[in-house]
Amino acid sequence: MISRSTNALARAGVALSLAFLAACAGNGDGLDANGQPLVPGGSASLPLSADFESIQENIFTPICSVCHAGASAPEGLRLDAADSYNLLVGVPSTEVPSLDRVKPGDPTDSYIIQKLQGHAAVGAQMPDGCPTTQPCLSATTIGFIQQWITNGAPPAAAAAATVSAPLAVTSIVPDNMESVNGPPPQVMVAFNHELDVSQLATYSAHFEKLAPAAAPTVIDQVPARMSVSSANLRALMIWPVQPLSAGHYRLVMDAASSSQISDIAGQQVTLGAPDERGENVISTFDVEALP
Amino acid sequence: MNRRSLLAALIVTIVALLRASPSTAEPYLAVEEGYKCNVCHVNPTGGGLRNDFGITYAKVLLPAETVDNSIDTWTGKLTDRLRIGGDLRADWSRDTAPNSPTTQAFALEQFRVYADLTILPDRLGIYVDEQVAPGGSQNEEAYVRYGSTVDGIYLKAGQFYLPFGWRLQDQTAFVQQVSGINMTTPDKGVEVGWEHSAWSAQFDLTNGQANASTGSGYQVITQVVYTKPIWRVGIAGSSTQSGAGDRHMGALFAGLKTGPIAWLAEGDIVQDDSLERTEAGGLLEADWRVLKGHNLKLTAEYEDPDRAVRNNQQTRYSLVYEYTPLPFLQLRAGYRHYFGIPQNNQQNQQLTFFELHGYF
Repeated sequence: MISRSTNALARAGVALSLAFLAACAGNGDGLDANGQPLVPGGSASLPLSADFESIQENIFTPICSVCHAGASAPEGLRLDAADSYNLLVGVPSTEVPSLDRVKPGDPTDSYIIQKLQGHAAVGAQMPDGCPTTQPCLSATTIGFIQQWITNGAPPAAAAAATVSAPLAVTSIVPDNMESVNGPPPQVMVAFNHELDVSQLATYSAHFEKLAPAAAPTVIDQVPARMSVSSANLRALMIWPVQPLSAGHYRLVMDAASSSQISDIAGQQVTLGAPDERGENVISTFDVEALP
Repeated sequence: MNRRSLLAALIVTIVALLRASPSTAEPYLAVEEGYKCNVCHVNPTGGGLRNDFGITYAKVLLPAETVDNSIDTWTGKLTDRLRIGGDLRADWSRDTAPNSPTTQAFALEQFRVYADLTILPDRLGIYVDEQVAPGGSQNEEAYVRYGSTVDGIYLKAGQFYLPFGWRLQDQTAFVQQVSGINMTTPDKGVEVGWEHSAWSAQFDLTNGQANASTGSGYQVITQVVYTKPIWRVGIAGSSTQSGAGDRHMGALFAGLKTGPIAWLAEGDIVQDDSLERTEAGGLLEADWRVLKGHNLKLTAEYEDPDRAVRNNQQTRYSLVYEYTPLPFLQLRAGYRHYFGIPQNNQQNQQLTFFELHGYF
């Protein structure tokens, strides 16, 4: 009796198996690359794929940069199109400095994935408040970011195409005359070419805290260290050795330091502009106290 | 050094050289043997630290060859009251997708260690599951347990995996993705469980992953499983109350043994108000114990990410061979083929992997 029942159940199992095998994937008719219905007359936006340009357009810009932009960007992480790559790839996270925000080739050890999946050791799952105030990213969507990282986290094709232009600074965060909420973890200077890291030792800089007066009066100095991540040779990071308290600051190249930044082809560009003492100031900004 | 010693040394060396996946839960073994989860695991809902019988099963019944008991005295117990264990998985995988560059890499999937401290025998204990790699140390489970997990009512409080359907080893299975409940998504709360004869039941009240950052809302899960020697059936339901929209889930799952083949099946349905959609997932798995220590796993999966949208379904088929030559060592080789809408490359990827799994 048991044997007969077992055989019947086995046949049911095989039939169920065949039903599963017969279940086909959707043919995608009438859908965009994300599986969403095409909107007649809708914009021809870039479909989500495992490349930075697509991830920026579909995820970082519409979702993340709602908060992660401008002076009040949490953790100093700006995810607008101008700055996101340079502040992500090869940059240590502020919450868990032992982990880079994006570690090319290693999505598991990339902090952004831990934050999006909600497994990070510190802080809340991103997008903040998901899914209470907004949906969390689906596993499939996160999968595209994981795949981009697995692929080595290459920059957008448009950025790679700028090598024919002269070496230039493309972005500084925080930029001149900017006011940021809370101490910035670093100042990021982005270039359109990959830098010659062998010259890095010849550069040095420091932060100067200035008194609120018409004439610049230095009331405090904070040493800085400089680095260029091997994961992104286009971004020069300048880190204060201690958090900057609220106040008015300028970031200055040391008097003994070269201000001529070289790329790997030997092109040079001067970083900053001379101040009243002839020292090159990279950026002048205000740090507001956190509420 | 004889050939067997050489082979063992080679395997150990490879494990050491490879940078070392999710903790082990292989419910097909329970279906094959007609066991409830608590027969082999300290955790009554399965996975993680093995108990006395689980260690014996791993040493004697699972591998192709056993080791002389006079040499292998490992029981997992450091003292009468403290038991430890672990799982380490390292793999090499190759991923190909249409119109995308092929990627391949060695990876340390996961190294987890477990500990269980018995404070009052058969009554009070503390359990910890810690992921130590990759990345920094991360706590997965940490709870205090009161009561009997063998026969009776128990209470868990702390952080733990939620009971919802088959607790599979493959955390990327569609049913695990659809429900969002797997062995990488523990939650904080309390669980009341009941183990009696063929019955297992759990009732969980937790924060809910959706409410992790808000400090409001909650999740309620109930699961009931009825286990007989050659078959079992389970039902689970979950409801998450959240400001952004509630999320309700249901799962029906079953296991059946027919000769040398263990069958697992699960169907999940998820209504997510925050995303304004209903998702569905399905799993059918057949595990054929070809020989002692050899298992051939065939899996067919189905996912409909939005029931209101036509032509968007995905399927996945997997073929995995598992060879357990010696106690506490398993080699796995597998191939997975995803089928999805043609305009999405990632939904049509093919994954090949080889994995070494060491456990104790």
